[in-house]
Amino acid sequence: MMIVSGIRFRSLWILALGMWVGASCFAATHTAQLPPAASRPVDFATDVQPLLAAHCYSCHGPERQRADLRWDVKSSVFRSGEPQPFIVPGRSAESRVIHLVAGLEPDSLMPPKGEPLTAEEIGLLRAWIDEGAVWPETESSNLEAATTHWSFKPVTRPDVPAVSPQDFRLANPIDHFIFAKLAENKLAPSREANRHTLIRRLYFDLIGLPPTPEEVREFEQDNSPGAYERLVDKLLGSPRYGERWARHWLDVVRFAETTGFEVNTPRPNAWPYRDYVIRAFNEDKPYDQFIREQLAGDILGEDAATGFLVAGPDDLVKSPDPALTLNQRADELHDMVSTAGSAFLGLTVGCARCHNHKFDPIPQTDYFALKAVFEGVKHGERRLRTADTAARETELASRRQRLLELDARLAEFEPLAQVGRLDTNLLRAPVNARQNLERFVPIATKRLRFTIAEATGAEPCIDELEVYTAETPPRNIALASAGTTATASSVFPNSEIHRLEHINDGKHGNSRSWISNERGKGWVELEFAETVAIHRVVWGRDREQKFADRLAIEYRIEVAVSSNDWRIVASSVDRLPYKSGVQEQPVVSVAGLTAEQVAEVKNLQAERKQLESRIAELAQVPMLYAGTFTESPPATRRFHRGDPMQQREEISPGALGAIPVRFDLDTAIGRGLQPAEILNAGGPTGFAASAAQELTEDQRRRLALARWISDPANPLTARVMANRLWQYHFGEGLVSTPSDFGENGARPTHPELLDWLASEFMQPTADWSARPEPHPWSLKHLHRLIVNSATYRQASGARGDALAVDAGARLLWRFPPRRLEAEAIRDQVLAISGKLDLQMGGPGFSFFEPNDNYVRVYAPKQEFGPETFRRMIYGTVVRQRPDGVFGVFDCPDGGQIAPKRTRSTTPLQALNLLNSGFVMQQADFLAERLQREAGPNAEAQVRRAFALAFQRQPDHAELGAAAQFVQTHGLQVFCRALFNANEFVYLF
Amino acid sequence: MKDQTPSHAGRWLLNRRDFLRYGGTGLGGIALLALLEEQKLLAAAPSAMPPQWSPENPNAPRPPHFPAKAKNVVVIFCSGACAHLETWDYKPELIKRHGQPMPGSDNLITFQGENDNLTRPHWDFKPRGQSGKMISDLLPNLAELADDMCFIHSMTAKSNTHGPAENQMGTGFVLDGFPSMGSWVSYALGTENQNLPAFVAIPDPRGVPQVGPNHWSSAFLPPVFQGTAFTADQPIPNLSTPKSISPAAEAGTRDFLKFLNDRHLARHPDDGELLARISSYELAAKMQLSAAEVSELSQESEATLDRYGVNDSNKLKAGFARNCLLARRLVERGVRFVQLFNGAYAMGEGVGNWDGHKTLKEQYDIHAPILDQPCAALLTDLKTRGLLAHTLVVWVTEFGRMPTFQKGANGRDHNPHGFTVWLAGAGVKAGFSHGATDEFGYKAVQDITTIYDLHATILHLLGLDHERLTYYHNGLERRLTDVHGHVVKEILS
Repeated sequence: MMIVSGIRFRSLWILALGMWVGASCFAATHTAQLPPAASRPVDFATDVQPLLAAHCYSCHGPERQRADLRWDVKSSVFRSGEPQPFIVPGRSAESRVIHLVAGLEPDSLMPPKGEPLTAEEIGLLRAWIDEGAVWPETESSNLEAATTHWSFKPVTRPDVPAVSPQDFRLANPIDHFIFAKLAENKLAPSREANRHTLIRRLYFDLIGLPPTPEEVREFEQDNSPGAYERLVDKLLGSPRYGERWARHWLDVVRFAETTGFEVNTPRPNAWPYRDYVIRAFNEDKPYDQFIREQLAGDILGEDAATGFLVAGPDDLVKSPDPALTLNQRADELHDMVSTAGSAFLGLTVGCARCHNHKFDPIPQTDYFALKAVFEGVKHGERRLRTADTAARETELASRRQRLLELDARLAEFEPLAQVGRLDTNLLRAPVNARQNLERFVPIATKRLRFTIAEATGAEPCIDELEVYTAETPPRNIALASAGTTATASSVFPNSEIHRLEHINDGKHGNSRSWISNERGKGWVELEFAETVAIHRVVWGRDREQKFADRLAIEYRIEVAVSSNDWRIVASSVDRLPYKSGVQEQPVVSVAGLTAEQVAEVKNLQAERKQLESRIAELAQVPMLYAGTFTESPPATRRFHRGDPMQQREEISPGALGAIPVRFDLDTAIGRGLQPAEILNAGGPTGFAASAAQELTEDQRRRLALARWISDPANPLTARVMANRLWQYHFGEGLVSTPSDFGENGARPTHPELLDWLASEFMQPTADWSARPEPHPWSLKHLHRLIVNSATYRQASGARGDALAVDAGARLLWRFPPRRLEAEAIRDQVLAISGKLDLQMGGPGFSFFEPNDNYVRVYAPKQEFGPETFRRMIYGTVVRQRPDGVFGVFDCPDGGQIAPKRTRSTTPLQALNLLNSGFVMQQADFLAERLQREAGPNAEAQVRRAFALAFQRQPDHAELGAAAQFVQTHGLQVFCRALFNANEFVYLF
Repeated sequence: MKDQTPSHAGRWLLNRRDFLRYGGTGLGGIALLALLEEQKLLAAAPSAMPPQWSPENPNAPRPPHFPAKAKNVVVIFCSGACAHLETWDYKPELIKRHGQPMPGSDNLITFQGENDNLTRPHWDFKPRGQSGKMISDLLPNLAELADDMCFIHSMTAKSNTHGPAENQMGTGFVLDGFPSMGSWVSYALGTENQNLPAFVAIPDPRGVPQVGPNHWSSAFLPPVFQGTAFTADQPIPNLSTPKSISPAAEAGTRDFLKFLNDRHLARHPDDGELLARISSYELAAKMQLSAAEVSELSQESEATLDRYGVNDSNKLKAGFARNCLLARRLVERGVRFVQLFNGAYAMGEGVGNWDGHKTLKEQYDIHAPILDQPCAALLTDLKTRGLLAHTLVVWVTEFGRMPTFQKGANGRDHNPHGFTVWLAGAGVKAGFSHGATDEFGYKAVQDITTIYDLHATILHLLGLDHERLTYYHNGLERRLTDVHGHVVKEILS
């Protein structure tokens, strides 16, 4: 590997030239030496493959895979991540294989032994490439090849190479690996960066905010040993660290707080997952536990963690069409399978949905085994469980029972509905949208019909129809669960929420209601399981009091024992006239009652009022958008070509067969929980699964997968996460395809270092610089090792000698500079203007104007109030609609995973940073701050501004120019300019 | 503070020696790194022919894979599923058997549920132009242009619900999060006018379409290739300098920024991304002028304005007419890809768009006049000015509608099994029809065409091989056409 990487990087400059000036430059200097391409159509099977077999297979074939490369496997030859591709279709002169066989790369003539290729053979290869390098798809040995793939081999702890660079203090083994490879490539590392560069770098990298001028001064003046390391510890201990690094993880898992697709409905209770991730980073939660909780937090005392499962999109537009419904469900589960595969394993498992994976050892059956793991998970909210959840539920049940009793008692004082001649002295209360009571003399019945003759607004709506027996305690026999069936004159079509079965499902509110399909009228009929004596009917339009339209105001209620002996028991004729807008509590008329009875009614009503508020309080449980779980998931079947209409054999839950870790459903059963897990499973709420707790089938599956992924023997888990951390620190991972460690992904630039980091991650054996005792799977331990390394502390200046060899600084001869991300830029603007609100957690703020169309319209806010001055991670993430000001700075849109952001430069970024209302407003605030802190003198204002924005003092020319600018155009215009400076948005 | 030397961006573009120096040795750091990533990953596809682009000048015109028939594209997207049976697809048998059950449709459940009997179109069909193509009276002005149009009557979509289906027509995938057609094209070809975006999306006056910005998102492609959304009445957000900033202050700011950035660059002399950012500010300044100019419809003659219906008393029609005129002005100025939307997100079934479930006649009577005259004027205007010679116009909608009415309603349900799109202009046959649905217009039966095929054909007309235009994301060399698609050769001129 070492040798290969060396070769690879020596050729980087060729690529760089090819890249920047097109083929012309290269052609001018090199292609003249190449044999000409054959001038005839070339066929892969007859012309090219025999040639490869003769010259290449012995080292790069089924037997041996030098450089981890196989010339008999298409995906290996065309793999991503080669700094210079072996084959550039259409451009043989730029294809590295041609350079290698023609001897253009010194010391790397291929094949290294035996006969070199003849000019004719090279000409054939060139013609094949120029004609497009067509390599027909065959059932090749991809699967077999991939089991020998580097990332599937066990993590071993490599020896730390000995290096002795002059004048460099090596901080820890990272430097040994990095400096050894630099030395191999005859490159020297860069000197340590200066203090103000280092503090700015550390602040933005670790907490995503700038240091204050005072913090900069203190650090610059602290010459005591360990000043840098102390600063690192301080920042890793700051709550701001979790806010910074959680955002990276949220990219990886496609987190957003709306559904996506057409309606893109908000998920107002999705934020607890974001808070959970922030807390996990801040607490340095062991990464293996972090994995387990996101897959099975409902068992492990971290309910919000399973927000991971449902952070992706789901299509809320449902249909009676069975094919569409099956496809929507398949897409939801696909999102879960592929996100878990890419986030934790760095594998593109989702590619095996329709067929075996083309490049990696993932048969389609493995995909469906993983799908079976998630088969019990659905999108939706569930109640947050807390330590007192059980006690509250018990109390709630008993209070509700008491309410039933009270209502029955109160009903005794309600005037009977009049069915004969109308006595206008005994009129009952008008109907109201919330709840209405009809009391009558007990009557035996088998059926009951509620007929509406007039309603307010459009088609009438009833959320629940309750019928109580004349016994003690009374029973609601209308419920479907009591064996009652409902029929109706009509039902509002194609609605999920307005359905006939909602009329007697025991659930209240508009979203569990029946609406007729006739304007102003309609009827519902209930047929009870048996004939029974009833004496009370309760009904309402919306017991949750959100809606008051569609209310039945003229109606009658009839009962019958046989099919045609209907008798009216109550109707609207004896009610006072309906007045719109009146939303009364259930009313008891006291007309005609004795003084004692009136007193009793008042007592009962007082108790009822208290009871209701207590019930409301008890019923108010925080909801989480963290998925709902089906205890016994339906069978999982393989879909032929991924089509849910073509279901094949049943597949059991499982994981990836190519990874030698057992997927064990049995050890996941209750008592299989290890003591450490139980201890760790305290969560913020004190809730923990008891060891004796019976797990459901769904829970067993998810826990089994969680353990399979977090097993230290899993070769991918630690490597993938160590690489992610490296990427966010240096701007590029050791593996440049962070969520694809498969055959088609990139190879690590420093495979030994990656393995050392992975090994140190799982089993910290050394106290390299870490003061706190590192625990296994500690992210902060890895952070410390990385940022304390001499490698990280290098200056970022470009050096001609090094650029010529490694323009991309993949070998890390300097700290690679980079533009700050959207969040860091916005947070920095707020921090410097003095307006940043550091309130942590809770519901987010919105970047958009309020809107309640059912297809949500997201119009970016033009004016921003103080509620939006929180860190950007607390901005509600709308799928497909990044923030209107900073979204163009490469914010991921939550549609697909974003394990690595692009870093683009566009004119729209410039326009937003120059002209948006947000930036203008913050420029105003900064101007006020400068006046406050630096007084009226323009030079003093400029000095303060430079210290705040750039962590340094202006030089003489800058001071003069800036002060003159302030005097000519004013402070606000100056502040606006600062926000746009390159120095403001770049990290060096 | 005034600097007499050429701007950095100017130097960058003009001085080949500097270009080489920066390009070859000076770009260490992330600009090159990011670029290397992009390029090497692209090049890894077995048959990929990636565009060669640079962050400093990402929209520079780039050569296609092979000589192109079309240089520019205008896609007219009718959101909500405009019924093919009320417009372009003439089915005498449907008229004849009006009121009868559709054979073989027992227990057929479509998107909204059960269906009633076959229902004839509400508008009469008449032969049009030299070709005698039968088109309905719903869109009389467009109908008269039949001789310029090339119909595909056998379109099929993968989904029968708007969100995923609009995603598919706009991005090739039913899921959220994939790059739009226009972003693939600007990634592949760049654009001719560096002072305007390469790809402009023009939403309907009533609002954005049903999956909104998915239609012009770059998703995992670099954001520089995403569509810029604006209309004749709503300019690019944050385009204009705030009122509180005087022209002098703005000019002073640019000089001062350049001063700061030049000094910063002097301290980091070899970092090309800093230069790219400086040049992006110069581009932004040019875009402020050009985007304002292109929206100046008052430069057009009264006759032109009237032809489009710009001053029509129907406000929505006038708004859409202005958008159509804007589209022509963009094409005229070299914008590569223009997407023009007719119909917006749902604001009640069929109210904001072509989703005629319940009261199709009433709703289409509202929608059709908004589309018809302005869109016909656009096509005619492109032709008259010679722009159609190198411009491809594509009229699409996300799927078709049923030949039956829905049970208990006066409208048609979704139908992804057969619908019509048309193309006109560069590289396609004029007055031509391809493919067919069955006798009732329910399912495509002859020369069945997928959205992948349509996309492959559009790319082909632009000189691009849809199998070779790829971008690495999450383990795969992604394409607009996924792993599908065949160029519809029969319609090529």
